[in-house]
Amino acid sequence: MAMETMSDVSIRNLVKTFGNAVAVDGISLEVPRGAFVTFLGSSGCGKTTTLRMIGGFEHPDSGEIYIQGKPMGRTPPHARDTSMVFQSYALFPHMSVRENIAFGLQERKVGKSEIKERVQAMLDLIELPHLGDRKPKQLSGGQQQRVALARSLIIEPTVLLLDEPLGALDLKLRKQMQIELKRIQRQVGITFIYVTHDQEEALTMSDRIVVMAAGRVEQEGSAEDIFDRPASRFVAEFMGAGNVLPVQVESHDATSTSVNFAGRAVTVPQPLPDGEIALVIRPEKLRLDSTDGWQGKVVESVFKGSMMSYRVELTDGTSMLAEVAHDDTAHRHAIGDTVMLNFRGNDATLVPGSIGAG
Amino acid sequence: MAMEYVPNAEAIRPRRQIDWVPIITLGIPTLFVILFFVMPIVLIGRYSFNSIDPVTGLMTTDWSFAAYERALTSPIYQKIFLRTLTIALTSTIVALLLAYPLGYFIGAVAEPQQQGTLILLVLIPFWTSYVIRTYAWIGILQTNGFLQEVVGWVPGMGGSLLYSRAAVIIGFVHVYLPIMILPIYASARNMDKRYIEAAHDLGASPFRTFLRVTLPLTSPGIIAGIVLFFIPVFGSFVTPQLLGGTGDTMMGQQIQNQFGEAFNWPFGAALSMVMTAVVLVAMVLFFRFADPEEIYGG
Repeated sequence: MAMETMSDVSIRNLVKTFGNAVAVDGISLEVPRGAFVTFLGSSGCGKTTTLRMIGGFEHPDSGEIYIQGKPMGRTPPHARDTSMVFQSYALFPHMSVRENIAFGLQERKVGKSEIKERVQAMLDLIELPHLGDRKPKQLSGGQQQRVALARSLIIEPTVLLLDEPLGALDLKLRKQMQIELKRIQRQVGITFIYVTHDQEEALTMSDRIVVMAAGRVEQEGSAEDIFDRPASRFVAEFMGAGNVLPVQVESHDATSTSVNFAGRAVTVPQPLPDGEIALVIRPEKLRLDSTDGWQGKVVESVFKGSMMSYRVELTDGTSMLAEVAHDDTAHRHAIGDTVMLNFRGNDATLVPGSIGAG
Repeated sequence: MAMEYVPNAEAIRPRRQIDWVPIITLGIPTLFVILFFVMPIVLIGRYSFNSIDPVTGLMTTDWSFAAYERALTSPIYQKIFLRTLTIALTSTIVALLLAYPLGYFIGAVAEPQQQGTLILLVLIPFWTSYVIRTYAWIGILQTNGFLQEVVGWVPGMGGSLLYSRAAVIIGFVHVYLPIMILPIYASARNMDKRYIEAAHDLGASPFRTFLRVTLPLTSPGIIAGIVLFFIPVFGSFVTPQLLGGTGDTMMGQQIQNQFGEAFNWPFGAALSMVMTAVVLVAMVLFFRFADPEEIYGG
């Protein structure tokens, strides 16, 4: 019950189908007040549908959404205390930037002079104080994005919903906007629910990440949790874990599990998960110049700027991906070189799921 | 010895070849427009400066403003002109009230798979001749006709509607409604539905959303629909001839009458030119007022 009073949004057993397709298949989660929460998943995982149900654009088949403890039922969007920033921005093309931002306040019958003041404050917040009289079409993608944000923020919603808002921007602008969005969120202190398929974007901005697949929640936790301790093979692969390896269990107790990987024992500090398991190790956690470990041969090397990426084939045929910082501390390997590969059990994770099953 | 560079003019500038493609593709339509649009207007324009010899009753080709003087100053024609304008505008408003909900529904509410069928249904009346459809209204509206049989008991519906202004307006709305629905349908279909969702999201009720977002964003379709409807109605003579009363004639009938019965071609031509000018000026003003560049900021 303590969680409930802390939550801006509570979702209970949400189900939504479109025809025969199940978009959302029984999702429950809590969104803490003031948090930046990201729904992360590939297209069709149900993240946008869930967001649209919170905003009132779709109605759940079953289950309930509570906003600050109030069940939403079939409350229409205009009567909800949420606001949505659309992927396409949906700025009204026939209105100026100022008119777009003022829209929500005008519909709330706020006085003219107050609207003028608050619109100007918003233009300052999004750092476009001089572009108020332009039409949306006369702005760049990044500027339109900020106006869309201002238009939603000005009505001071309990929850701001963002549906892949950076999807249309180029990489450099996207990085810039990620930091900007985070800054604005901290400044206004409103709960943000953000939808994206980009794991890096999720890691950069989120307080909490909800990884979704096939209409269900795969894992929920802080960015570090999701990145360092994936709860399933799916999450590990989605977060770009790189190496998901077959292992045999040798021994286990309450806090650690020893597994055999390619002839050597690895002790991972975590209890044994149920069912079949796989070992997950990120490419950047591998060392190639160890004195002890697995012997292998470099079969591929790719220069990635700050990183060198190597594909190494172990003597038993297992293929592994290693990433080494590209600086003068690291020895550079050529294709065909023999390397001694090693990693620490503390850097590895055991996840349920057999290799080759999916 | 260094080779002297001699530019080969032949190689630099290949022999000019006549490109027939633009000449043919642009030439044929241009010729068509000149022959069947520019020429008739120039001809009518020239006729409008002719006059009728009061003695012989024959047309003389001297330059005279007599026809224009009569067209612009005669109280009878001023009255008919205003009446024509009233009937055309009333028909346009009635048609818009019917066409907008239907066009909007087909374009923005109906499932995309059904839109084609619905538009086909709208267009089916076009498969029948204008005149036949207008005659059909005579059958419906006349004394003891279909309408009177069905709703004759409703007060005020007992008499015949035929040969009244109402009959003319019904006829216009029926005949030209599809060409007003089409552009409204197109603009409703092209409008991003996210704008409506955004307006709801920002707290606008469905009615407020319609006023502030839907209506302005479909206005290009409304404007095109009004223009396409108004122009043929303004100059029409068949519909008022068949359905209207003899005391309630429109300009189109007057013009046709000058050419066909009164044999006063200069006067008929002058009336035509005045009508054309009025429509032209109205359209220029209308399009300027509803310039999409103005609405969406170029």
